[in-house]
Formats: sequence, C-alpha cells, structure tokens
Amino acid sequence: MQEQGVIHAEGLVKVYNGKVKAVDGVSFDVRPGEIFGFLGPNGAGKTTTVSMLSASLAPTQGRAVVQGLDVSVDPEGVKRRIGVIFQESTADQDLTGRENLEVAAGCYNIPAAEARRRSESLIDLMQLRDAADRLVKTYSGGMRRRLELAVGLVHQPKVLFLDEPTLGLDPQGRAGFWSFIQKLRAEQGLTVFVTTHYLDEADTMCDRIAIIDHGNIVATGSANELKDRLGGDIVTLKTTPGASDLTALITGLPGVNSVQKQDSSYRVKCQSGEPFVPLAVEACTRAGVGVTGVTVKRPSLDEVFLEFTGREYREEGEGLTATDRAVMLQRVQGRLGGRR
Amino acid sequence: MLRELSALTRREFLKISRNPQAIFTSLLLPLLYLLLFGQGFNINPAEFLPAGTPEAVKLAVIHAYFRGAPSYYSYFAAGMVGFVSVTATLFIGANVIFDKLFGIFKRTRGTPAPSAAVFGSRLIAGSAQPVLLAFFVLGLAILFAHVPGLTGMQVTASVGVVGALEILVAVLLISLLFATIFLTFGILFEQPQTYFALVNVVNLPVLLTSDALYPWGAMPKWLQSASQYNPVSLAVNVLRETLYGASAYPYPPDIYLLGLFAWFAVLGTIAILLVRRALRPLA
Repeated sequence: MQEQGVIHAEGLVKVYNGKVKAVDGVSFDVRPGEIFGFLGPNGAGKTTTVSMLSASLAPTQGRAVVQGLDVSVDPEGVKRRIGVIFQESTADQDLTGRENLEVAAGCYNIPAAEARRRSESLIDLMQLRDAADRLVKTYSGGMRRRLELAVGLVHQPKVLFLDEPTLGLDPQGRAGFWSFIQKLRAEQGLTVFVTTHYLDEADTMCDRIAIIDHGNIVATGSANELKDRLGGDIVTLKTTPGASDLTALITGLPGVNSVQKQDSSYRVKCQSGEPFVPLAVEACTRAGVGVTGVTVKRPSLDEVFLEFTGREYREEGEGLTATDRAVMLQRVQGRLGGRR
Repeated sequence: MLRELSALTRREFLKISRNPQAIFTSLLLPLLYLLLFGQGFNINPAEFLPAGTPEAVKLAVIHAYFRGAPSYYSYFAAGMVGFVSVTATLFIGANVIFDKLFGIFKRTRGTPAPSAAVFGSRLIAGSAQPVLLAFFVLGLAILFAHVPGLTGMQVTASVGVVGALEILVAVLLISLLFATIFLTFGILFEQPQTYFALVNVVNLPVLLTSDALYPWGAMPKWLQSASQYNPVSLAVNVLRETLYGASAYPYPPDIYLLGLFAWFAVLGTIAILLVRRALRPLA
C-alpha cells in the first residue's frame, strides 16, 4: 500500500447549490517537504480544492486528510496545523504589522508573551522591522504579501497553503516572495501547496505539479516529467489558407508523434524539431501546399497545459465559460463568507 | 477560548481607536438631539390649561403627561439614553460585512478561533460604545441644566447606588440586545444593502413604538399599550423611574429589567443558534 502524503486528497468533489460541480473527483498526495503546484485556469477548481483541504469548505464527496487529520472530522485540528495565505490581502489595514501578527497568534491560543516573541522573530525573518509599527494601509504590495506570509506562519505550521500568493505582484516582488518560501522550506521543512496562475513560477519553484481543468486533474508530475510526456519538440506549420488537409501526410513523416490541425495550421509533436522542419516543408511543397510560417518550440508548461487541456492557458478573466463564471461567482460569494 | 476572545476584542478596540472621525460623529447625533430637538420640543402641557388652574393641577398634568418627569426635556433626555443605546449599535453588523468584503473575516475564519470568540469580541466592543454614549447623553443632559439659556435634565428622585446600578444594567441590556441582533444580521448576510434594509426594518418600528421620545400623555392608548412591551421602553422606564420616582409606573424597575432580560434571553438564544450554524468550522 502506498504511503499517504502529508496532504492526501481522495476523490474530492464539490458541488455548489446542487448543480455547479467545481471539483470533480480530485485525488493526489503531497509528500513531506515538497512544494506542490496546483495549476489551472480561472474556474478550474483550484481555490475550491484549497478551501476543502484547508478545512474551510466541506467536500460534497471524497476525503481530504492533512497531517493525518481528516478535514471533515476535525476541521479545527487541521486549521491548527496549517497556514493559509489567501489570494487577497487579509491583513487588517487599520492595524500595524506587529498588531496583526499578535492578533493572529491570539487566534491560535498562543500566550501573549510567546505571541510577542514569535511576532518579533517573524518581523525580522520577513524583513519588516522598519515597518512593523506602521499601519498596514501604508504598506506596499510586496510588504503586504510578506506580512500575510508571516501571519500564516505565526503558529508554526508544518504545511502551508498558498492560494495565488503572488497575484498582482511585480516580478521583483514575486521573486522576493519565492525566496522566502524556499528559505522556509530549507530551514523548517515546510510542505507547501501552492496554486498559481504563473506557469513560470510553477516551472521553477515546484517539485511537482498537478494540472486541474474543469474540476479534474488532467496531469501530475514534475515539470520535467510533464514536458517529457509531450514527446519532444512542438513544431507549428502555417500553410496557405484553404489548402487541402495534410494531417495524414505530416503524420507519416519520420519522428512525428502526433499532429493536430487548427484551421490552416498544424501543431506537430515530434522527437526533434530541427531535422523535421525541412522534411515537413518539402513534403508540403510537394503536395502543392505553401508553408507560410514555421515555429519550433522546446516544450514549456504552456505546451503541457495545451496538451492536457486542449487549449491555451487562459489569461486572468479571459475565455470564461458559463460554468467557469458560475464557479467564480461561488468563489466570490465564498470569499464574502457566503453560504446560501 | 479566552485568549482568542481577548486577541479579537483587542483588535476591535484598536480599530475603534484608529477611527476618531467615527467617535466624533457618534457623539454628534445625541449632541444635536439634546441641543436642538429636546430644546425645541420642550412643550409644557400645563400652559394649555385655562387661566387660573391651580398649581397642583398643573403639576399633576405634567406628572401624568411625562410619567413623573418634571419636564418634557427631562422625560426626553432619559428616552435619548435608550434611543442612542439602539442607534449606536446600528453599524456593528455592517463592520462584519465590510470585513467579509475586505477578506479580514476570512482570515479569522481560517483560524481555529471558536465562533463564540469571533462573535463575543465584536459584541463586547460593539456594546461598549453605546454604553459609553448613553452615559455621555446623561451627563450632557444634566450639564445643560446648568448652562444659562438651555433646558437640562432635572433629576427629582434620590438615585442611590442601587438606582445607579439599575440604570447601568438597563443600558447594558438594551445595548447588548440590539448589538446581538445587528451583529447576527452582519454574520448572516453578505451585502451592505441587505443589512441596512433589515436594520431599518427592526430599528424604526422598535424606536417608533417605544415611548423614548413621544410624550406619554400625547400617545394614543393603543400605542401606550404596545410600548409597554417594547424593549426600549422597558429600558427607558428603568431610567425614568429611577431618576424621577416610581409613582407613575405600575411596576418597580426590577420588573422592567426582568422584561428586558427576557427579551435578551430569547433573542440571544435565537442569535446563538443562527450564528453557530453560520460560523461552523466547516461550511
């Protein structure tokens, strides 16, 4: 029997209002000390999954176990053992950074003297010493994120959930945030579960990645494993519009793993792009079809995403389906503390 | 539980202290009522009696009209204490809704802090303001009696320690009662518009069916009867009876306090059930 992870999800399902299925049977295990990335477009079910794992939302079906505690059986125990960094800033704007930390510590039943000690330590760790006694409303975006992280760590959790933690930060802020996470992992052995919209972050920071789309996990593995599954390079051939279908011809060329036709373009997965391109151009020309453009790409997580979901990774707020919008609406209501 | 309650209550008081504008505006409303409304409406029903009416009859009319208070202003000032004890709690639930909108409530809900601490901290801070405001009104109304050109509150009974305690308990209970109601609305609902609509549905009928501001003698009989069960009237009765004497009241202050406590016990129990459900650990 396989050993259960620090975070164990087993057939998790969440249905809102009995009709909108936001998460549809998600299963995975996160290993101790791992940074586990959870990727997906808006409305894919990322935040709903985090909410279930962090004992804020009851699963409709399935089981979630965090550090050995079933979230449905002992949600308060789970909350004591985990830290959660939300998408939005949740620090109290009218309090100072230090006050926010001390209040958060009190919410975990930490005695006042110990709360002050931990607050001081986290203020130093997050390099907020100069701003510790300033109201949070005067903080920059990066400082707020660091404070959020400090608040999430005040009770010394071993598991940290980060829900789109770098959303809205500039590249410098993102890099800074991740350097803190890496440092914490190295020093404290934290297990980190992170949802992110930024594929580059997932690529470089996560040990393993799960891709979720329409409530289902479509792929899991390290970034390299996922890229390897694509089977080599991706070549896009653009042909003259209205030309005959060359799918069969291209599929028959040496080294080709698969071909997808999109309008007058062909997305070809092949073992190596460089020798394939002249062969493909020659074959197309012989078939009387002009090639108007060629691109060769080493696989990135964008391609991985395209491969497993059948579409480009959507930008924030773009290309939402009716179901996506319904799920997002539920999320907004949930964020408002809502229950209907 | 106590540490969580203490931490969250500290947060509430810190937030109040960081908003001096809100403190100032909360003082402005009772100040204007005491300075303008009370002075302007300070009618004397004895003036409408025929000339030559004996002084004893005049006093008896005033006594009956204002339930023992020596003037409308004195009657009204005690009513204002009940009035501000309600109006000062109106925003307590709105603050919860705004904390939900800004994500702050989500952070608290993400911790293992018990729902009793979440609710209790806001109730403590939200009730402390109206209690302080109520005593500000009392003090100001008494002070006005010593300002030339202004009418003020004239305490005609001997209050004593027990009387002072009864007033304190009445103010505490009425503040806690309405803070509980409005805080529960704030926890149950998500939109400020819904919240304020509901607050008006409760606030206006309660205040307008009480005898807090109306001269008792001018109220129709049916309204007098209805107001006897109104929690604001119950609290105000305790104040008026203690400050102006018991002769115009059928029951001693303790009975009114008991009635007020019954309101608090019933609505508080309903609130606890609703809030516990809304704030259960796993939604």
